[in-house]
Amino acid sequence: MKNNVKIMRMKMSMTQEQLAKRVGATRQTIGLIEKGEYNPSLQLCVAIAKELNKTLDDLFWEENLL
Amino acid sequence: MKSWISFLLPDDEYKEKKMLYFFSEGAIILFLSLLIMIICTYFFTINVGTALLLAIAIFLFYVTGRYVISGMEYTDIATEHSYKKEIKNIYSRTCSFAFIYLLLYLIFVGIPGDRSDWTGMLGLLISVGFISFITNYISLRRSYHKNKELL
Repeated sequence: MKNNVKIMRMKMSMTQEQLAKRVGATRQTIGLIEKGEYNPSLQLCVAIAKELNKTLDDLFWEENLL
Repeated sequence: MKSWISFLLPDDEYKEKKMLYFFSEGAIILFLSLLIMIICTYFFTINVGTALLLAIAIFLFYVTGRYVISGMEYTDIATEHSYKKEIKNIYSRTCSFAFIYLLLYLIFVGIPGDRSDWTGMLGLLISVGFISFITNYISLRRSYHKNKELL
C-alpha cells in the first residue's frame, strides 16, 4: 500500500517521534509505514489521518489503482 | 481482539503482530520437535527431564532469537549519539546485574569454600553476564541499523 504519510507529516513540521506519540505507536512503526514496509490497521490509519488533518483517501491508496 | 495472551504482548501494533508471529512459529517448531522426539523414543530412550528441558529450550531460544534479530527492541535508537549512550546503559545494566548477583550469592549461599566453588560461582556469573550483554548488544545494533534506514 502506497502512502503520503511522510510528506503530510513533514508539511506539518512534525517528527516521526511526535506523530508516534500522538497515535500511540513507536517511532519505528511510523518509519515502517512511511516506507511502505508495514500496512497499519484501520484503527491506526484513522489515528494518523486525524493527527495530520487528512482523510484516509489523502493518505493511503493501493498501488495498482493508479 | 481480546485474548488472555494480550498481557504478554507490547502495545505497539507492529511489535504485537511480530511477537504473535514469533510465538506461533515457536509453537509449530516445538510441536514438530516433540513429534521427532516421540519417533526417536522408538529407537532409543530419552530421559523425561531431558526431553522437557529440550522442548522448553527450543521454544525459548527460537522466540528470543527471533526477537533479538528482528531489531524491534530499541525503537527510538536512530542516531549515533543515542546508540553510544544505550551501549553504556547496557554495559552498566550488566555490571549492576553482576554486582547484585554476587552480593545475593554471598548473603544467601556464603563465601565459596574452595577453588571449585569459586570457579563454579564466577563461571556462572561471567557466562550469564556475557550472554546478557551480547544479546542486548546484538538487539541494539540491529535496532539501530533498522531505525537509521527508516529516518
